[in-house]
This record gives sequence, C-alpha cells and structure tokens, in this order.
Amino acid sequence: MTAKISITVTVNGTAQAADVEPRLLLADFLRENLDLTGTHVGCEHGICGACTVLMNGDSVRSCLTFAVQADGAEVETVESLGSIDELGPLQQAFREKHALQCGFCTPGMLMTATDMLRKYPLETDDDIRDGLSGNICRCTGYQNIVAAVRSAADKRDGK
Amino acid sequence: MAALAASNGDAKVLAGGQSLVPMLNFRVVDAPLFVDINGIEGLDLIEEKEDGGLRIGALTRHFALETSVSVRDRFPVLHEAMKHVAHLAIRNRGTIGGSLSHADPAAELPMMAVLLDAKIVAAGPDGEREIPAGDFFTAPLTTVLAPDEIVVAVDLPGLPAATGWGFEEFAQRRGDFAVAGVAALVTREGGTVTNTRIALMGLHDTPVRARSAEAAFGESGIEAAAVAARQDADPMNDLHGSADYRRHLAEALTRRVLTAALERAAQ
Amino acid sequence: MSPPDDIDLTRPQFIGAKVMRREDPRLLAGEGNYVADIKRHGMLHIAFRRSDHAHALITNVDVSAAQAMEGVVAVYTGADITRLANPYQATSRMKNYQATFIPPLAVDKVRYVGEAVVAVVAISRYVAEDALALVELEYESLAVLVDPEEALKPDAPKLHDDLESNILAAREFARGEVDEAFADAAATAGGRFHFTRTTPVTIEARASVAEYDKGTRTLTLHCTTQIPGIVRDKLSEIFDLPGPRIRVIAPDVGGGFGGKTSLYSEEIVACAIARDLGKPVKWVSDRMEDLMTTGNAFDEIVDAEIAVAEDGRILGVKADVIGDVGAYSIYPWTATIEPVQVVSFLPGPYRIANYAARVRAVATNKTLTGAYRGVGRPISVFVMDRLLDMAARKIGMDPAEIRRRNLVNDDEFPYKAASGLVWDKSAFQACLREAADGIGYDELRREQAAARADGRWVGIGVACYAELTGVGSRIAVAPGMPINTGTETCNVAIDSTGAVTASFGLASQGQGMETTLAQVVAEELGVKVEDVDIVLGDTASVSHGTGTYASRGAVFGGGAGILAAKAVHEKIVRVAGHLLEAAVEDIETGNGDVRVKGTDKSMTIRDLARALYSDMGRVPKDMRDEIDNLEATKVYDPFFGTTTSASHMCLIEVDPETYKVEIKRYIVVEDCGRVINPLIADGQAHGGVAQGIGVALMEEVIHDKTGQVLTASLVDYVVPSAVEIPSIDVVHVEAELPGTVGGFRGLGEGGTIGAPACIANAISDALSPLGIEIMEIPATPERLFRLVEAAKAD
Repeated sequence: MTAKISITVTVNGTAQAADVEPRLLLADFLRENLDLTGTHVGCEHGICGACTVLMNGDSVRSCLTFAVQADGAEVETVESLGSIDELGPLQQAFREKHALQCGFCTPGMLMTATDMLRKYPLETDDDIRDGLSGNICRCTGYQNIVAAVRSAADKRDGK
Repeated sequence: MAALAASNGDAKVLAGGQSLVPMLNFRVVDAPLFVDINGIEGLDLIEEKEDGGLRIGALTRHFALETSVSVRDRFPVLHEAMKHVAHLAIRNRGTIGGSLSHADPAAELPMMAVLLDAKIVAAGPDGEREIPAGDFFTAPLTTVLAPDEIVVAVDLPGLPAATGWGFEEFAQRRGDFAVAGVAALVTREGGTVTNTRIALMGLHDTPVRARSAEAAFGESGIEAAAVAARQDADPMNDLHGSADYRRHLAEALTRRVLTAALERAAQ
Repeated sequence: MSPPDDIDLTRPQFIGAKVMRREDPRLLAGEGNYVADIKRHGMLHIAFRRSDHAHALITNVDVSAAQAMEGVVAVYTGADITRLANPYQATSRMKNYQATFIPPLAVDKVRYVGEAVVAVVAISRYVAEDALALVELEYESLAVLVDPEEALKPDAPKLHDDLESNILAAREFARGEVDEAFADAAATAGGRFHFTRTTPVTIEARASVAEYDKGTRTLTLHCTTQIPGIVRDKLSEIFDLPGPRIRVIAPDVGGGFGGKTSLYSEEIVACAIARDLGKPVKWVSDRMEDLMTTGNAFDEIVDAEIAVAEDGRILGVKADVIGDVGAYSIYPWTATIEPVQVVSFLPGPYRIANYAARVRAVATNKTLTGAYRGVGRPISVFVMDRLLDMAARKIGMDPAEIRRRNLVNDDEFPYKAASGLVWDKSAFQACLREAADGIGYDELRREQAAARADGRWVGIGVACYAELTGVGSRIAVAPGMPINTGTETCNVAIDSTGAVTASFGLASQGQGMETTLAQVVAEELGVKVEDVDIVLGDTASVSHGTGTYASRGAVFGGGAGILAAKAVHEKIVRVAGHLLEAAVEDIETGNGDVRVKGTDKSMTIRDLARALYSDMGRVPKDMRDEIDNLEATKVYDPFFGTTTSASHMCLIEVDPETYKVEIKRYIVVEDCGRVINPLIADGQAHGGVAQGIGVALMEEVIHDKTGQVLTASLVDYVVPSAVEIPSIDVVHVEAELPGTVGGFRGLGEGGTIGAPACIANAISDALSPLGIEIMEIPATPERLFRLVEAAKAD
C-alpha cells in the first residue's frame, strides 16, 4: 500500500488533520473519516452532482477530487448551510417550495445553488436551469428546485 | 518536471482532474505516480498581448476563461464556447492545459485551439517548445506531448478587426460532450471576405479545420461551404450518433455558424 | 381550555392541506440516514467480481490470490453461498409460467453481463476492489441470445437447462370477434411498436448493511428496499430464521421507482456473509453496477393494429407482445408482471368490444427486468394511443375528438374493459376536457397551422390512460404470485407520554409519507400533524406488511391509518366521556385536545393518556378491561382497488436540422381522488413526467450482440437534466370519490404512464406532413434523422 500523506483540511470552519492514502477521494474523506455523511456519492464520475461541495468557495465534485488535493483548503459541505433546528435561507426556500423528495441529490443541489447564486445574475429561470444542469434529480422533475432557487435569488436581489 | 522524468513515462499529470479521475474511479486507468501540478505558481494567468491576442497559462480554470473580460472582448467565440463546457463545478476545476492534453475530439477547447491558430507551449526537461495547434492533436485522446512534458501556456494570436464569429454545438443534453460542433471566424475588409476559418468538433479523430468548406465558402458562399463540410468531417458511429447523422450535423451547423459569423463581421 | 374559534372540527383540517414535509429538515441539513451512511464497529466491505460474459459456463474459479491479499478477510463463491443459503425462485400459479432459480452468486453458469460471481470481503471498499483483480475466473462461452425473437424459437439454446424453453410466460386475452371487426372497418392502422429497455436510475444506488448478533442470533438487514416485508419473509425462508430473528429496515432511501422492489442477490449475499463471519458487512453499489444489474424495464415489442368505423369508434384491437425479460424471473414479481400488464391494460379507458392479445415473456442474456414506474402501463398507453392517433389521421379526425368518442362515459361505470379489468369509476372525459381547456387546445391548433406554414415542425400530443391503484386482495399485482399485495397494516398507538405513533408496513423513498400519513392520522384522531410520528420501513413494527409499490401508499396507508386511528379515537372518546363526565356523543377532539361540545370542559389528549396509563384508579377497571389501551392495529383490504386516470397533452417542436425535440408546454390533468397534500401530489406528477420524458427522448439500455452493456455510465445512459424538462402544469379534477376508505386513489406512476405516449404522439403530429409515425422510442435525434431521411427518399 502506498505511504499515507499528512493533510490538514479546514472543513466547515474546523481544521481537520489526518493521514490519508493519496487515492482517497475527498467525498470518502468527508463521509468516512469525518462522519460528514451529508455529502452523497451518486456516480463517482462527475455526472450526477450529488457529491458537490465548496472548495475555497467554488463548487467542485468531491468524487473527482483527492483528499490530498484539499490539503490547506477550506471545504464547505451541506452541514455548513444550517442545522435541523435552524435551516439556512436556501434550505428554507427548498422546504417551502417542496424542492426535494428523497433528498439524495439535495445536498449537491444546495451547494451548486449556493455557488450559482454568488457567481451568476440568474436573470431568467432558464439561467437557473442551465446552472443546475450538472445536478441530476430523478424525483422532482426540477420544477420546484428552480422555484426554490428563484426565491433565493429574489431575496438576494432584494425583490 | 523531475518527478515526471524520473517515472519513465508511467506517471500521470493531475491538474483539474475532471477527465482523469473518472477513469481512475472506473479503474480503467492507473499509474504508479500522479504528479499534482495545481500548486505550481504563475501558470494561471491570462495576459493580454500587443497583437490583440492572449497568452493563457495552462492552469487557468475554465471558469476564469468564462468570466474573463479579456477573453470576451478579444475572442468572443471562445467566450461563447466556454458556456458549453460541462457544468459549473467542472469549470471551477478543469484547466485549459488539462483539456488540451486530454485531447478529446468532442471537447470545446481543443477545437478552439485549432480555430484560433493557437500555439501550445510545452515544457520538458530540455526546455520549452511551441507547438501549433494543428500539429498538437494526432488521434483521439492523443497529442505530441512527450511523457515528461506538460503544457504550460497557450498563445492565441490576435484576430483582425471586423472578424465575425459563429459557434454551434449539438449535444443531447446541456453540458454533455458534443455530438458535433462547428465554429467559424470570418473577416471582412471593405465588403469582401478576406479570411475564413472553420473548425470541427466531434466530427473527426481530432479537432480539425474544415478546409474544403473554407475553400467552398470563398468560392461559392454559405450553402456550398455547408455541403463541403460533410467531406471535411470523418465522424465515427457511437451510441450518441451515427456517422451519417454527424455528417448531417456538420452541414447544418456549418450553415448556421457561417451565417452568424457573416452577420457579426458586418457589424 | 377551549380550542380556538376558527377551527371547524367538522371540516377536513389536514387532508388537502399544503403541509410542509416533516422529513425535510433532516434531509436538507445533511442529516438523513441512508444505508451508505451506516457505520458499525468492525464493519467490513464487500465488492463483487461480476461476469463479463453474457452466457458462459464457469470452468475455473481461483480465489487464493485474492484471499491472500493484505486487508482481505474472506472471499465467497457460488459454492459457499449454496452452503449458506437455501435456493429460491419466484413462483406463480399462472398457466404457462416457468420459474427460474436465481443463484445469488453464479455457480456453474453465468447468464448476463454483470451477474455476480465472487464476493470479496475486506477492511475497506478500496481494498476489496483491489482484490477483485486477483480473482481468477475462466469461462467457456456459450451462444448469446440478445434478440428475444431468436430466443423464443423452438431450437434456440436454452438459458436454463431445466426449463422447456426460454418462454417464461405466455398468456392470451380475447373478447368478442376481432376478425369480424377488422373486416368491417372503415380504416385500420398499426404496425410494430418498440418500447426499448430502460433502467430506473435512482440517484442513490442500491446498498445493504447486514449485521448479525451472535448472542440473540438475530440478523438485521439495512437495505435500500421498497419492500422490507417481502424481503424479510423471503430471507426467513432462505436462512431458516423465524420473523423475530430477521429484521429488515429501510431507512432513508434515495428513490426507488420500482427498481428497489425486488429481492437482489447482493442482499442475500450480504446476509449470508454477516452470519458466517459474525461481523457487520456493507455493500454499496457503484453506478456501473447499478446500470448493469438493477432491474431493467420496458423492453417490449408489440405488433398491434386497430380497426375503426367511419365515425371514429374503435371496432377492434389486436396485439402480439414479446417481452424481453432478461436472464431470470425476478423475485417477487416474476417475469410476467410487465409483459402481462402490457396486454391487460392495453384497452385503456376506451370502449372496445373486440380484443385479441397474446403475450410471451422471453428470457435473454440480459439483466433481469423488474418493475419500473408504470410497469406495463407505459407500453400499453404508448401502443393504444399511437394506434388511435394513426387511425385518426387515416380518417381525417382530430386526435382529441377521436378520444372523446371512445372514452368510457361517466354513465357507463362500472365498466369492464376488454381485457377483463373493471374500471369502478373515474373522470376519463372530464380529464380530457380539462386538459384541452388547460393547454388551450384549439388555439394551439391555430398556432400550429401558422408555424407549419413557416416551415416549423410543431406538434401537439394527447394521451389518456387509466390504471388500477391500491389494488386489494381480489387482484394480485402480479397474477398468480404467492405473496399478498392486497392488504396493509397500521398500528396507531398513544403511549404513556401522550405521544402518537402510527406504524405501517409501507416504506418511503421520498414520497413524503411521514407527512401525508401524519396528516391522515392527525385528521382522524384530532391531534396536530406535527404530533404524529410515522414509523415506516421496519419489519419489527408490524406483523405483516409488504411495502411501497404499485401506487398503493395513499390508498393502503391512508385506509389502514384511518381505520386504526378511528379505533383509537373511539377509545379516546370513551375515556374522555368518563373523565369529563359527559356522554360519548358530546365529545369531540381537535388540536390535541378533547372537549365537551358547547362547553369549555376539556383536557389534552396527553393528559388523558396519563390518566389512563399512569394514574391508577382514575379510569374504572371495567372500562380499562374493555379498551385495554389507546392502541389499535388494523389491516385494510380495499379488495378491488380503484381506478386512477389522467389525460396528458403537450406542445413540442422538432428542430428541422438537428432533430432535437423541445417540449414547450406540458399539462397533466388527473383524477386521483382525495388529495392528501397537493404539494406532494403535484411533485409526484412532475417527477413522473420527467422520467417519462427521459424514456420518450433519451433513455435506452443498449446491449451489443455479445450481450455487453454499452450504457454502463451516466455518460452513455442519458437521463434528463433541468434543461430538458419543462414546467409541467398539473390539475386535479374534483370527481366522485372512489369507495376506498378515505376516498384516496393511488398516484405516482401516472407521469411515466402517459408521457411517452403523449410525446410520441406530438412528434408524430409534428412530422405528419412527412408521413412519419413514431413506432419506436426513445425518439432520439438519431432515430428522427433516420425516419426523415427515409421519408425524403420516398
């Protein structure tokens, strides 16, 4: 077995030190080493988007990133958006619009939406659909997810 | 550099990882060593050149290209192409050096390199060399890079004024690899077309210039060029489309991009 | 304390309300508990070595190198599992049915690419996969059958040597005189329809965690299953373990759609290994495994024809169906479920006097087919509604009009369809009418004419369907099966802390049953929705249950929940009558309180529970001897089931150069009875239509001639993203309620049932100037290109 590498990753604001195999995926590091199982693995080839987290503020596929590549980086997962008792505003919007059914794609959707809301004006709902096109959902048909992101965008814009 | 050289060609370069890591996860690719170049400083700059072009560092992320004002102003066709590259999360990590080195014939950046007459700057233990984009890609997923070389920059020469552009990509879904794509640049000087470049994506073993289409356009205009593009294409059959259908798209998309490019050149 | 004045306790409070889902906070916060999240001390990980041959004898299995690898704890082969588990098969009393034994790990033969052959158990999934490469397997290839028409020939090589042929099931339906009907027809239409292979693609792939407690000798399986009760009952036989010693739990499950309604080899292997090693073991499917082994669906070839009179009345329909069911007959539904449904639902909501249909389910060297949203009904509706449109075109009639003339009218219910199914009552005509109104049908036809003149390919699609949902014991979900799908159990209990729990044998994969069933029970008991805890998916909580499939959640859960809650309510009222010194008729409940009507004498139900359970002597002994406690268990059997129906309409445009189809408008008008939660009901429609769009335009499982799965990644098996799905209008028709307890109909599968037909009809409409009829889906740009080229050549 390949020698382990020491890394320190700041996850949701807390520095986490660990010795990991170079081939350990960031998704598995979060889920197995740190017990942050909110990030889900859906395909391991970057298509479904369920594993999306923020790394240094950018949405990335944690299934296509090695944990060692996150050494020194700031990683934010769905657990940073809010808690069961106090959902964050985006999570609240998802709840109000019934934008989730089974919940498995939801953390990835939330992290992608968080990045989209920061990076793009999202003037039309087509812009929202475009931005979400890298996150697959099989339950909702996307309609309510678009409505939730629209509601969050409106809040962002003070509408 | 040293690590790559020492590995005798067995090592793999890891930049954005958006193409390499899926293959690793499927266990269809493996290597004893991965050299992560993300930490190399200075390779992610976009520099404006005096000739109106750009020099783009190999580690420039797709998102940086997508949002770069210099790219939008100097190479609007590239700006448009970037919107079609996969999805935001991929664009946050993927790099131009990585995309060109991976050399997928259905990817946008290799096609842009060919369209824009890019010079690809590679660095190895013996120093740097410049490789014209037309010579860089040799087969699907294959380039002329030696195992101990990496792309460090992409040099895009400036375009003449009054150059219109067109870009059309057809994919089954937003962000998928193209089933077929065509891009064109048309320069008009005083009412005459002085320069035409047409590049094809997903229609050949590598991105290619559609030379017969370019010639036909010069002689007889859009329709002839569109039909000629069928000859320039040598597409494959796969799950996402047959060769016949792709040839059909070559014609249809060439027609669309030349129409758009001409209109834009006139403005 | 009196309840607020604005609560009217005589009118439904929660049924029909847009209650926000109770499951959401944990799922949104990333605190869901999915099987892949489960960790146990000392847990080991399983990876499967799978066959890369579609049909072959296994001539050598050498696991010694894999066993010797550091980090590998054990390696199991088919011979090991034969020792550890009893064999099983899916049986059926249906005539002409041949069952197949399904070895959890292949023993002497492999019959499809992806079939599990060896299981490696290691300290991590990474190490287990490393070891897979060290397993040595040798095969002797056998002839591969991937074409069901080849496989059904009498001289075809047999997949199962102990069977007479590869035809696992055959059935015929007939009514009236179909040949006469065709002879008298003003017009006939038809041809060969091909609905191609699909796979459900839940975003959560299948997973199992099996743990064995050596002390109590209890096996617990945490599993991404929709059918915990069925799995428990069968595992009990497979491992000779009585009920209390085998528990199956479906925690949070990330989508099912029918793909998780079968018993899978991996579940059995995980249990066998857990028991054998005495250690918890986990298996999580990766996406490639999922795309190769999760039950496929919809692989049906239908040769069908319709005969109509001049006025558009259907005179007769005939169909010959070949279902490609893959290498084994899946448990529990058997290989019959989808193919037989195709012909039994083919007549649809239409008046058809003469019908003849034959179906054969044929085994091939492909993944097993199971149940996927709609099962046979998407194919039935595709064929029937395509036939209607084709006939309409022949006689120059509008597609909506031809349906108006043939849909069963309200005054004809109960109506026995041509296949023998009985439609009790449903708003067939009203749904069509409201769909046409909702989409602005006449205006769209005008717009279409103008667009056509401009050279644009614009099409309008219509599809109408009916299905039986919430089917009780009178009709088995899959005919002749030995499991009971006709009942479901609910236990409602108010405990000594005053908390209300309602437990069901159902399981959830995202349908919101923790909320909808809480609404139903809260309504009946007179408590707040947020004070009802729903327990689902755990075989320890009810003595019998099967699970969630066939759109039965609302009917069975709602019905059983109402019966059990009513029984508990009666007890509450009796005790309250005593404690509040009033007649039982004067007691009412609401908001968690009981009170005497017209007075302000009241108490909380919580206090009432304490009085009954914990304050000795407050409730007299003879009353307590009669009522025992505030708990009741009821089993609901709707017996017949109820008809759910809908009309779909859409507007599409085909790009005349790229042949890409854009869906511009889509409306679903459904009669789904009493809607418990409109948010959730609409969400089911959106999701179902989205999957239907995927099936219609882009999803196809493709095997090559040697049986290799070419669509083994999400790059190649293409499912729609947010860009490809339009906004979908959903309208619920307020029609007469069915006779089910609560008045609920089932819903959930309607989207996939109606959408492929609707879209195929729209594309055919758009391309009708070229004389093109869509007979095969998905209608990919490639397929449309071929059709247009062929049409232009003529």
